[in-house]
Amino acid sequence: MTSKIINMAERFKDAEDRLLESMFESVPVADDGFSVNVVSTIRRRLWLRRLTLPCAAAIGAVLTIKPLAGLVKAFAGFSAIIPQQLISATASMLPQVSTLVLGAMLLAVCLLGIQALDE
Amino acid sequence: MSRSEDHELVIKVVSAQDTAAFGKLVRRHQSQVRNFLRKLAGDVTLADDLAQDCFMHAWDKMHTYSGRGTFIGWLLKVAYTTFLQSKRKSKRYAEILAEAGHVADLESYDHASQSDEVTDLDKFLAVLSEQERAIMVMSYACGLSHREISDATEMPVGSVKSVIFRGKEKIRISFDLKDHQHG
Repeated sequence: MTSKIINMAERFKDAEDRLLESMFESVPVADDGFSVNVVSTIRRRLWLRRLTLPCAAAIGAVLTIKPLAGLVKAFAGFSAIIPQQLISATASMLPQVSTLVLGAMLLAVCLLGIQALDE
Repeated sequence: MSRSEDHELVIKVVSAQDTAAFGKLVRRHQSQVRNFLRKLAGDVTLADDLAQDCFMHAWDKMHTYSGRGTFIGWLLKVAYTTFLQSKRKSKRYAEILAEAGHVADLESYDHASQSDEVTDLDKFLAVLSEQERAIMVMSYACGLSHREISDATEMPVGSVKSVIFRGKEKIRISFDLKDHQHG
């Protein structure tokens, strides 16, 4: 009931309101490529977001290859001073390289999938 | 411009990230948004930049539009927030410049100061505070209801009414409205 009264009161405008409305009235602004500009900026941003994760992954891989190789070498040197029995026991417990690669690939696919769903 | 058409386009944007549907929404409402920001900022170039930012924010926040009010009401809320954020940023920038010893114009948003051509509307807007200006423009230029303005400004309906009343009072005191009415 109260809201109806408020709405009715809003509808009954006095001469001053009408004058203000005419003073505030403005000529419609021509689009002049504004909407095209907005949409193309949004499309560009969408593509940037889609590319961010794969690019970051690729850059990360490039950056980590050298230190990783060093780490592997260090481990190889380290293994020489460890008793052979202990190495063979640990190696059997650790996942194989192929398993690691598969895991990494699955992780990457999952991350891409999550990003695609998110978008 | 029907409300249901707006809602259909919004659904397409939210569910499928449809940029073409968003383009239609921009084309339908750009004039009102740009006019609103031009009146608030008093500078055409700045207002158009803010309008672009406003539509970017609208794209990002489209899922927050509940469909309760009109789409233009929601859009003007985003535009008003964008304007306030930009003003805060430029104020902070001016403060940094001032701290660094540069003289900066803190009131760069002041109405009727950037254009040689001062209209009656510019004079009206110049006597109003920023909040009064925004609410008066939403009410008289954009035709939003008090409820929609309340949603856009996050103010109670009663406060919106008193701001409009105060704004009209200021305009009435500063200018004789009847004089304008008779030419």
